[in-house]
Amino acid sequence: MGEKESGAWRQLWATFFSKTWPVWVGGILLAFLNVTLFLVKSPWGGSGTYINWGENFYKATGLFGISGGVKPVFSHLYGLLGLLTLLGAFAGALFGREFAIRIPPAGEMFKGFLGGVLMALGATLGIGCTIGGFLSGWAALSGGGIVLAVGFMIGTYIALRYLIWEMEHLPKMSMGKTYTFLAAKSTSGNWQPVFGVLLTVALIAGSAVYYKNDNVFSMFALIGLLMGIILQRSRFCIVRAFREPFMTGESEAPVGVMAALVVGIIGFTVIKYMGVGTSTPGAARALAMTWVYPHFWLRALIGGTIFGLGMTVAGGCAVGTLWRAGEGHVKLWLAAIGFLLFAPIAKKFIVPGFSHMLPEWAKQKLFLPDKFGYGGAVLIFLVLIALWYAFVKWNEKTGKFSAV
Amino acid sequence: MDIKIDKTLDCKGLSCPMPILKLAKEMKGMDGGQVLELLGTDPGSKGDIPGWCEKTGNEFLGLEEEEGVSKFYIRKA
Repeated sequence: MGEKESGAWRQLWATFFSKTWPVWVGGILLAFLNVTLFLVKSPWGGSGTYINWGENFYKATGLFGISGGVKPVFSHLYGLLGLLTLLGAFAGALFGREFAIRIPPAGEMFKGFLGGVLMALGATLGIGCTIGGFLSGWAALSGGGIVLAVGFMIGTYIALRYLIWEMEHLPKMSMGKTYTFLAAKSTSGNWQPVFGVLLTVALIAGSAVYYKNDNVFSMFALIGLLMGIILQRSRFCIVRAFREPFMTGESEAPVGVMAALVVGIIGFTVIKYMGVGTSTPGAARALAMTWVYPHFWLRALIGGTIFGLGMTVAGGCAVGTLWRAGEGHVKLWLAAIGFLLFAPIAKKFIVPGFSHMLPEWAKQKLFLPDKFGYGGAVLIFLVLIALWYAFVKWNEKTGKFSAV
Repeated sequence: MDIKIDKTLDCKGLSCPMPILKLAKEMKGMDGGQVLELLGTDPGSKGDIPGWCEKTGNEFLGLEEEEGVSKFYIRKA
Protein backbone atom coordinates (compact mmCIF):
# COMPACT_ATOMS: atom_id res chain seq x y z
CA MET A 1 0.00 0.00 0.00
CA GLY A 2 2.70 2.43 1.10
CA GLU A 3 4.79 1.57 -1.94
CA LYS A 4 1.82 1.98 -4.27
CA GLU A 5 1.17 5.44 -2.87
CA SER A 6 4.75 6.61 -3.31
CA GLY A 7 4.55 5.30 -6.89
CA ALA A 8 1.50 7.45 -7.56
CA TRP A 9 3.19 10.60 -6.18
CA ARG A 10 6.30 9.83 -8.16
CA GLN A 11 4.16 9.55 -11.28
CA LEU A 12 2.55 12.90 -10.56
CA TRP A 13 5.99 14.47 -10.16
CA ALA A 14 7.22 12.87 -13.39
CA THR A 15 4.12 14.10 -15.26
CA PHE A 16 5.03 17.69 -14.48
CA PHE A 17 8.79 17.70 -14.19
CA SER A 18 10.50 14.88 -16.07
CA LYS A 19 9.55 16.17 -19.52
CA THR A 20 9.13 19.55 -21.17
CA TRP A 21 5.51 20.73 -21.43
CA PRO A 22 3.98 21.51 -24.81
CA VAL A 23 4.49 25.22 -25.51
CA TRP A 24 0.75 25.84 -25.98
CA VAL A 25 0.05 24.51 -22.46
CA GLY A 26 2.53 27.09 -21.17
CA GLY A 27 0.89 29.75 -23.34
CA ILE A 28 -2.60 29.11 -21.98
CA LEU A 29 -1.43 28.99 -18.35
CA LEU A 30 0.67 32.15 -18.71
CA ALA A 31 -2.24 34.00 -20.32
CA PHE A 32 -4.53 32.88 -17.49
CA LEU A 33 -2.02 34.25 -14.97
CA ASN A 34 -1.69 37.45 -17.03
CA VAL A 35 -5.48 37.94 -16.80
CA THR A 36 -5.21 37.26 -13.06
CA LEU A 37 -2.50 39.93 -12.73
CA PHE A 38 -4.82 42.39 -14.49
CA LEU A 39 -7.62 41.50 -12.05
CA VAL A 40 -5.26 41.94 -9.10
CA LYS A 41 -3.80 45.26 -10.29
CA SER A 42 -2.16 45.53 -13.73
CA PRO A 43 -1.11 43.16 -16.53
CA TRP A 44 2.13 41.33 -17.25
CA GLY A 45 5.14 43.25 -18.53
CA GLY A 46 8.84 42.53 -18.92
CA SER A 47 10.88 45.68 -19.41
CA GLY A 48 9.60 47.42 -16.25
CA THR A 49 11.53 44.83 -14.27
CA TYR A 50 14.87 45.75 -15.83
CA ILE A 51 14.24 49.50 -15.59
CA ASN A 52 13.52 49.09 -11.87
CA TRP A 53 16.56 46.88 -11.25
CA GLY A 54 18.81 49.23 -13.22
CA GLU A 55 17.52 52.33 -11.44
CA ASN A 56 18.26 50.64 -8.12
CA PHE A 57 21.79 49.89 -9.32
CA TYR A 58 22.35 53.54 -10.28
CA LYS A 59 20.77 54.78 -7.08
CA ALA A 60 23.11 52.57 -5.03
CA THR A 61 26.21 53.61 -6.99
CA GLY A 62 25.24 57.28 -7.42
CA LEU A 63 26.04 57.16 -11.14
CA PHE A 64 24.36 59.39 -13.76
CA GLY A 65 22.25 61.12 -11.12
CA ILE A 66 19.48 58.49 -11.39
CA SER A 67 17.96 58.35 -7.92
CA GLY A 68 14.76 60.42 -7.70
CA GLY A 69 11.57 58.40 -7.22
CA VAL A 70 13.31 55.02 -7.47
CA LYS A 71 11.40 52.33 -5.61
CA PRO A 72 13.30 49.44 -3.99
CA VAL A 73 12.86 46.13 -5.86
CA PHE A 74 10.62 44.71 -3.12
CA SER A 75 8.35 47.76 -3.27
CA HIS A 76 8.00 47.82 -7.07
CA LEU A 77 5.41 45.45 -8.56
CA TYR A 78 7.41 44.64 -11.69
CA GLY A 79 10.81 44.65 -9.98
CA LEU A 80 9.32 41.99 -7.70
CA LEU A 81 7.41 40.08 -10.41
CA GLY A 82 10.57 39.70 -12.53
CA LEU A 83 12.69 38.65 -9.57
CA LEU A 84 10.21 35.93 -8.61
CA THR A 85 9.96 34.86 -12.28
CA LEU A 86 13.72 34.42 -12.38
CA LEU A 87 13.70 32.45 -9.12
CA GLY A 88 10.67 30.42 -10.26
CA ALA A 89 12.52 29.45 -13.44
CA PHE A 90 15.51 28.49 -11.30
CA ALA A 91 13.19 26.25 -9.24
CA GLY A 92 11.58 24.82 -12.41
CA ALA A 93 14.99 23.94 -13.82
CA LEU A 94 15.94 22.29 -10.51
CA PHE A 95 12.69 20.25 -10.51
CA GLY A 96 13.58 18.86 -13.93
CA ARG A 97 17.28 18.40 -13.03
CA GLU A 98 18.09 20.86 -15.81
CA PHE A 99 19.94 23.54 -13.89
CA ALA A 100 23.63 24.14 -14.59
CA ILE A 101 25.80 27.21 -14.80
CA ARG A 102 26.72 27.25 -18.47
CA ILE A 103 29.54 29.61 -19.45
CA PRO A 104 29.69 30.08 -23.24
CA PRO A 105 32.60 31.34 -25.35
CA ALA A 106 33.52 35.02 -24.84
CA GLY A 107 31.97 36.07 -28.18
CA GLU A 108 28.60 34.67 -27.07
CA MET A 109 28.78 36.58 -23.79
CA PHE A 110 29.45 39.76 -25.75
CA LYS A 111 26.41 39.04 -27.95
CA GLY A 112 24.31 38.50 -24.82
CA PHE A 113 25.34 41.88 -23.40
CA LEU A 114 24.86 43.69 -26.72
CA GLY A 115 21.44 42.06 -27.19
CA GLY A 116 20.46 43.27 -23.70
CA VAL A 117 21.53 46.85 -24.53
CA LEU A 118 19.53 46.78 -27.78
CA MET A 119 16.46 45.41 -25.97
CA ALA A 120 16.78 48.23 -23.40
CA LEU A 121 16.92 50.80 -26.19
CA GLY A 122 14.04 49.22 -28.15
CA ALA A 123 11.78 48.78 -25.11
CA THR A 124 12.24 52.37 -23.90
CA LEU A 125 12.03 54.01 -27.35
CA GLY A 126 9.09 51.90 -28.48
CA ILE A 127 7.36 51.71 -25.07
CA GLY A 128 6.94 48.06 -24.32
CA CYS A 129 8.58 44.76 -25.02
CA THR A 130 7.31 41.43 -26.31
CA ILE A 131 5.28 40.93 -23.15
CA GLY A 132 3.89 44.34 -22.11
CA GLY A 133 3.60 45.76 -25.61
CA PHE A 134 2.76 42.62 -27.58
CA LEU A 135 1.36 39.73 -25.51
CA SER A 136 -0.47 42.04 -23.11
CA GLY A 137 -0.78 44.75 -25.79
CA TRP A 138 -2.82 42.55 -28.14
CA ALA A 139 -4.90 41.35 -25.20
CA ALA A 140 -5.46 45.03 -24.34
CA LEU A 141 -6.74 45.56 -27.94
CA SER A 142 -4.02 48.16 -28.57
CA GLY A 143 -3.30 49.15 -32.18
CA GLY A 144 0.30 49.95 -31.22
CA GLY A 145 0.74 46.28 -30.28
CA ILE A 146 0.14 45.27 -33.90
CA VAL A 147 2.82 47.65 -35.18
CA LEU A 148 5.19 46.50 -32.44
CA ALA A 149 4.80 42.92 -33.71
CA VAL A 150 5.69 44.06 -37.24
CA GLY A 151 8.82 45.70 -35.80
CA PHE A 152 9.76 42.49 -33.92
CA MET A 153 9.40 40.55 -37.14
CA ILE A 154 11.65 42.94 -39.09
CA GLY A 155 14.29 43.07 -36.32
CA THR A 156 14.24 39.31 -35.80
CA TYR A 157 14.62 38.66 -39.52
CA ILE A 158 17.62 41.01 -39.86
CA ALA A 159 19.33 39.63 -36.73
CA LEU A 160 18.79 36.03 -37.86
CA ARG A 161 20.41 36.84 -41.22
CA TYR A 162 23.31 38.29 -39.22
CA LEU A 163 23.62 35.11 -37.10
CA ILE A 164 23.71 32.96 -40.25
CA TRP A 165 26.31 35.30 -41.78
CA GLU A 166 28.32 35.13 -38.55
CA MET A 167 28.40 31.30 -38.78
CA GLU A 168 30.15 31.59 -42.14
CA HIS A 169 32.36 34.60 -41.67
CA LEU A 170 33.01 34.96 -37.93
CA PRO A 171 32.76 31.37 -36.64
CA LYS A 172 35.09 32.22 -33.74
CA MET A 173 32.29 34.27 -32.11
CA SER A 174 30.66 31.03 -30.98
CA MET A 175 33.83 29.00 -30.45
CA GLY A 176 36.28 28.85 -27.57
CA LYS A 177 36.55 27.69 -24.00
CA THR A 178 33.29 26.82 -22.27
CA TYR A 179 32.54 25.65 -18.76
CA THR A 180 29.59 23.90 -17.13
CA PHE A 181 29.15 23.77 -13.37
CA LEU A 182 26.68 22.05 -11.04
CA ALA A 183 25.01 19.98 -13.78
CA ALA A 184 22.95 17.05 -12.47
CA LYS A 185 24.71 13.78 -13.13
CA SER A 186 22.98 10.44 -13.34
CA THR A 187 24.53 9.34 -10.06
CA SER A 188 24.34 12.56 -8.06
CA GLY A 189 21.62 14.81 -9.43
CA ASN A 190 18.91 14.32 -6.83
CA TRP A 191 20.02 17.39 -4.90
CA GLN A 192 18.42 19.51 -7.63
CA PRO A 193 14.72 18.60 -7.14
CA VAL A 194 15.17 18.54 -3.35
CA PHE A 195 16.75 22.00 -3.40
CA GLY A 196 14.07 23.18 -5.85
CA VAL A 197 11.25 22.17 -3.49
CA LEU A 198 12.97 23.78 -0.48
CA LEU A 199 13.51 26.98 -2.49
CA THR A 200 9.87 27.10 -3.63
CA VAL A 201 8.56 26.59 -0.11
CA ALA A 202 10.96 29.26 1.21
CA LEU A 203 9.87 31.76 -1.48
CA ILE A 204 6.15 31.20 -0.81
CA ALA A 205 6.62 31.43 2.97
CA GLY A 206 8.96 34.43 2.66
CA SER A 207 6.50 36.33 0.43
CA ALA A 208 3.57 35.50 2.71
CA VAL A 209 5.40 36.85 5.75
CA TYR A 210 7.02 39.88 4.07
CA TYR A 211 3.79 41.00 2.37
CA LYS A 212 1.33 39.91 5.05
CA ASN A 213 -0.29 43.36 4.97
CA ASP A 214 -0.24 43.78 1.21
CA ASN A 215 -2.39 41.44 -0.85
CA VAL A 216 -1.40 42.95 -4.21
CA PHE A 217 2.31 42.42 -3.63
CA SER A 218 1.85 38.92 -2.22
CA MET A 219 -0.24 37.96 -5.28
CA PHE A 220 2.37 39.40 -7.65
CA ALA A 221 5.07 37.41 -5.82
CA LEU A 222 3.10 34.17 -6.05
CA ILE A 223 2.11 34.69 -9.70
CA GLY A 224 5.70 35.65 -10.62
CA LEU A 225 6.94 32.42 -9.07
CA LEU A 226 4.35 30.34 -10.94
CA MET A 227 5.12 32.15 -14.20
CA GLY A 228 8.82 31.37 -13.81
CA ILE A 229 8.11 27.67 -13.28
CA ILE A 230 5.68 27.55 -16.24
CA LEU A 231 8.00 29.50 -18.56
CA GLN A 232 10.91 27.19 -17.83
CA ARG A 233 8.94 23.94 -18.01
CA SER A 234 7.24 24.86 -21.31
CA ARG A 235 10.24 26.77 -22.72
CA PHE A 236 7.76 29.47 -23.77
CA CYS A 237 9.74 31.80 -25.99
CA ILE A 238 8.59 34.79 -28.01
CA VAL A 239 11.91 35.07 -29.87
CA ARG A 240 11.30 31.59 -31.23
CA ALA A 241 7.76 32.50 -32.22
CA PHE A 242 9.08 35.30 -34.44
CA ARG A 243 12.33 33.65 -35.50
CA GLU A 244 11.43 30.04 -36.19
CA PRO A 245 9.35 30.60 -39.35
CA PHE A 246 12.49 32.18 -40.85
CA MET A 247 14.86 29.58 -39.38
CA THR A 248 13.72 25.95 -39.07
CA GLY A 249 10.08 26.57 -40.00
CA GLU A 250 8.73 24.69 -36.96
CA SER A 251 5.38 25.96 -35.72
CA GLU A 252 5.26 24.84 -32.06
CA ALA A 253 6.60 28.09 -30.60
CA PRO A 254 4.41 30.43 -32.69
CA VAL A 255 1.30 28.32 -31.96
CA GLY A 256 2.11 28.48 -28.22
CA VAL A 257 2.21 32.26 -28.42
CA MET A 258 -1.04 32.33 -30.42
CA ALA A 259 -2.72 30.27 -27.67
CA ALA A 260 -1.55 32.85 -25.11
CA LEU A 261 -2.85 35.71 -27.28
CA VAL A 262 -6.32 34.19 -27.71
CA VAL A 263 -6.78 33.45 -23.98
CA GLY A 264 -5.39 36.89 -23.08
CA ILE A 265 -7.72 38.67 -25.52
CA ILE A 266 -10.78 36.90 -24.07
CA GLY A 267 -9.81 37.67 -20.45
CA PHE A 268 -8.76 41.29 -20.99
CA THR A 269 -11.80 42.04 -23.13
CA VAL A 270 -14.17 40.77 -20.44
CA ILE A 271 -12.41 42.90 -17.79
CA LYS A 272 -12.38 46.03 -19.96
CA TYR A 273 -15.87 45.65 -21.43
CA MET A 274 -17.46 44.98 -18.04
CA GLY A 275 -15.31 47.62 -16.30
CA VAL A 276 -14.58 45.02 -13.61
CA GLY A 277 -13.98 46.64 -10.21
CA THR A 278 -14.86 50.19 -11.32
CA SER A 279 -17.84 52.28 -10.22
CA THR A 280 -17.49 55.50 -12.24
CA PRO A 281 -17.32 56.06 -16.02
CA GLY A 282 -13.92 57.75 -15.56
CA ALA A 283 -12.48 54.74 -13.76
CA ALA A 284 -13.98 52.38 -16.36
CA ARG A 285 -12.35 54.42 -19.15
CA ALA A 286 -8.97 54.36 -17.35
CA LEU A 287 -9.33 50.58 -16.99
CA ALA A 288 -10.19 50.21 -20.69
CA MET A 289 -7.07 52.19 -21.64
CA THR A 290 -4.79 49.98 -19.52
CA TRP A 291 -1.68 48.88 -21.49
CA VAL A 292 -2.66 50.99 -24.50
CA TYR A 293 0.52 53.00 -25.01
CA PRO A 294 1.11 56.21 -26.99
CA HIS A 295 3.27 54.56 -29.65
CA PHE A 296 1.04 54.03 -32.70
CA TRP A 297 2.59 53.70 -35.15
CA LEU A 298 6.09 54.92 -36.04
CA ARG A 299 7.30 54.94 -32.44
CA ALA A 300 6.30 51.28 -31.98
CA LEU A 301 7.82 50.35 -35.33
CA ILE A 302 11.22 51.88 -34.51
CA GLY A 303 11.31 50.49 -30.95
CA GLY A 304 9.99 47.09 -32.00
CA THR A 305 12.60 46.70 -34.74
CA ILE A 306 15.47 47.54 -32.37
CA PHE A 307 14.01 45.23 -29.70
CA GLY A 308 13.67 42.44 -32.28
CA LEU A 309 17.34 42.80 -33.22
CA GLY A 310 18.37 42.65 -29.55
CA MET A 311 16.24 39.69 -28.49
CA THR A 312 17.42 37.59 -31.43
CA VAL A 313 21.11 38.34 -30.87
CA ALA A 314 20.71 37.62 -27.13
CA GLY A 315 18.53 34.52 -27.65
CA GLY A 316 15.76 35.66 -25.30
CA CYS A 317 13.30 38.56 -24.97
CA ALA A 318 12.87 40.42 -21.65
CA VAL A 319 11.09 37.47 -20.05
CA GLY A 320 12.88 34.76 -22.08
CA THR A 321 16.10 36.23 -20.73
CA LEU A 322 14.78 35.96 -17.16
CA TRP A 323 13.83 32.30 -17.36
CA ARG A 324 16.97 31.25 -19.22
CA ALA A 325 19.07 33.20 -16.70
CA GLY A 326 17.30 31.20 -13.99
CA GLU A 327 18.18 27.99 -15.82
CA GLY A 328 21.85 29.00 -15.62
CA HIS A 329 22.78 30.32 -19.08
CA VAL A 330 25.51 32.91 -18.44
CA LYS A 331 24.95 34.46 -21.89
CA LEU A 332 21.49 35.48 -20.69
CA TRP A 333 22.91 36.76 -17.39
CA LEU A 334 24.92 39.15 -19.54
CA ALA A 335 21.79 40.03 -21.54
CA ALA A 336 19.97 40.85 -18.29
CA ILE A 337 22.91 42.98 -17.11
CA GLY A 338 23.08 44.83 -20.45
CA PHE A 339 19.31 45.43 -20.31
CA LEU A 340 19.21 46.68 -16.74
CA LEU A 341 22.33 48.86 -17.07
CA PHE A 342 21.20 50.56 -20.26
CA ALA A 343 17.42 50.89 -19.77
CA PRO A 344 17.56 53.69 -17.14
CA ILE A 345 20.18 55.57 -19.20
CA ALA A 346 18.06 55.32 -22.36
CA LYS A 347 14.97 56.36 -20.39
CA LYS A 348 16.66 59.43 -18.92
CA PHE A 349 18.97 60.64 -21.70
CA ILE A 350 17.67 59.33 -25.05
CA VAL A 351 13.89 58.84 -24.84
CA PRO A 352 12.87 62.48 -23.98
CA GLY A 353 14.71 63.91 -27.02
CA PHE A 354 13.47 61.08 -29.26
CA SER A 355 9.88 61.50 -28.18
CA HIS A 356 10.10 65.29 -28.61
CA MET A 357 11.42 64.83 -32.14
CA LEU A 358 8.53 62.56 -33.23
CA PRO A 359 5.41 64.25 -34.64
CA GLU A 360 2.08 63.61 -32.90
CA TRP A 361 0.84 61.18 -35.57
CA ALA A 362 3.81 58.89 -34.83
CA LYS A 363 2.93 58.35 -31.16
CA GLN A 364 -0.83 57.97 -30.80
CA LYS A 365 -2.73 55.91 -28.25
CA LEU A 366 -4.92 53.69 -30.42
CA PHE A 367 -7.54 51.66 -28.58
CA LEU A 368 -9.18 49.67 -31.37
CA PRO A 369 -12.66 49.41 -29.74
CA ASP A 370 -12.89 53.23 -30.03
CA LYS A 371 -12.88 52.79 -33.81
CA PHE A 372 -14.47 49.39 -34.38
CA GLY A 373 -16.33 48.57 -31.15
CA TYR A 374 -15.26 45.69 -28.90
CA GLY A 375 -16.60 43.04 -31.29
CA GLY A 376 -14.81 44.54 -34.28
CA ALA A 377 -11.54 44.95 -32.37
CA VAL A 378 -11.57 41.36 -31.12
CA LEU A 379 -12.38 40.16 -34.62
CA ILE A 380 -9.42 42.10 -36.07
CA PHE A 381 -7.03 40.41 -33.62
CA LEU A 382 -8.52 36.96 -34.18
CA VAL A 383 -8.20 37.40 -37.95
CA LEU A 384 -4.56 38.51 -37.55
CA ILE A 385 -3.85 35.42 -35.41
CA ALA A 386 -5.58 33.18 -37.95
CA LEU A 387 -3.52 34.70 -40.80
CA TRP A 388 -0.32 34.28 -38.80
CA TYR A 389 -1.28 30.66 -38.09
CA ALA A 390 -2.00 30.00 -41.78
CA PHE A 391 1.37 31.51 -42.76
CA VAL A 392 3.30 29.54 -40.14
CA LYS A 393 1.69 26.19 -41.05
CA TRP A 394 2.04 26.80 -44.79
CA ASN A 395 5.69 27.73 -44.32
CA GLU A 396 6.28 24.70 -42.09
CA LYS A 397 5.10 22.50 -44.94
CA THR A 398 6.80 24.29 -47.82
CA GLY A 399 9.87 25.75 -46.09
CA LYS A 400 9.56 28.81 -48.36
CA PHE A 401 10.86 31.25 -45.76
CA SER A 402 13.01 28.88 -43.67
CA ALA A 403 16.77 29.28 -43.82
CA VAL A 404 17.99 26.06 -42.16
CA MET B 1 26.42 4.20 -28.67
CA ASP B 2 27.79 1.52 -30.95
CA ILE B 3 28.11 3.46 -34.19
CA LYS B 4 30.98 4.91 -36.17
CA ILE B 5 31.18 8.66 -35.62
CA ASP B 6 32.50 10.66 -38.56
CA LYS B 7 32.52 14.08 -36.99
CA THR B 8 32.03 15.70 -33.57
CA LEU B 9 30.54 19.17 -33.14
CA ASP B 10 31.11 20.86 -29.79
CA CYS B 11 28.15 23.06 -28.79
CA LYS B 12 28.75 22.94 -25.04
CA GLY B 13 27.89 26.19 -23.28
CA LEU B 14 25.84 27.45 -26.24
CA SER B 15 22.16 28.35 -25.93
CA CYS B 16 19.32 28.48 -28.45
CA PRO B 17 19.52 29.07 -31.44
CA MET B 18 23.28 28.53 -31.80
CA PRO B 19 23.35 24.69 -31.58
CA ILE B 20 20.76 24.34 -34.38
CA LEU B 21 22.47 26.93 -36.60
CA LYS B 22 25.83 25.19 -36.11
CA LEU B 23 24.30 21.78 -36.71
CA ALA B 24 22.66 22.91 -39.96
CA LYS B 25 25.94 24.40 -41.20
CA GLU B 26 28.00 21.34 -40.24
CA MET B 27 25.60 18.91 -41.89
CA LYS B 28 25.88 20.79 -45.19
CA GLY B 29 29.53 19.78 -45.39
CA MET B 30 28.92 16.07 -44.71
CA ASP B 31 28.17 13.19 -47.04
CA GLY B 32 24.98 11.11 -47.00
CA GLY B 33 25.20 8.25 -44.47
CA GLN B 34 27.85 9.95 -42.31
CA VAL B 35 27.17 10.31 -38.59
CA LEU B 36 27.59 13.51 -36.60
CA GLU B 37 27.97 13.60 -32.83
CA LEU B 38 26.82 16.89 -31.27
CA LEU B 39 27.83 17.72 -27.69
CA GLY B 40 25.51 20.16 -25.97
CA THR B 41 24.42 21.51 -22.58
CA ASP B 42 21.23 23.44 -23.46
CA PRO B 43 18.15 21.54 -22.20
CA GLY B 44 16.20 22.98 -25.16
CA SER B 45 18.31 20.97 -27.60
CA LYS B 46 16.63 17.74 -26.45
CA GLY B 47 13.47 18.81 -28.27
CA ASP B 48 15.04 20.98 -30.95
CA ILE B 49 17.51 18.52 -32.47
CA PRO B 50 15.13 15.56 -33.00
CA GLY B 51 12.56 18.07 -34.32
CA TRP B 52 15.05 19.54 -36.78
CA CYS B 53 16.05 16.07 -37.96
CA GLU B 54 12.44 15.10 -38.57
CA LYS B 55 11.84 18.27 -40.54
CA THR B 56 14.96 18.02 -42.66
CA GLY B 57 14.75 14.26 -43.25
CA ASN B 58 18.00 13.46 -41.44
CA GLU B 59 17.94 10.47 -39.12
CA PHE B 60 18.07 11.09 -35.38
CA LEU B 61 19.86 8.06 -33.97
CA GLY B 62 19.61 8.86 -30.28
CA LEU B 63 20.78 10.79 -27.27
CA GLU B 64 23.17 9.83 -24.48
CA GLU B 65 23.73 11.78 -21.32
CA GLU B 66 27.04 11.74 -19.59
CA GLU B 67 28.29 13.93 -16.76
CA GLY B 68 25.91 16.78 -17.55
CA VAL B 69 26.65 16.76 -21.31
CA SER B 70 24.07 15.57 -23.86
CA LYS B 71 25.46 13.69 -26.87
CA PHE B 72 23.21 13.67 -29.93
CA TYR B 73 23.79 11.32 -32.87
CA ILE B 74 22.52 12.28 -36.30
CA ARG B 75 22.92 10.43 -39.61
CA LYS B 76 22.86 12.61 -42.70
CA ALA B 77 20.19 11.59 -45.19
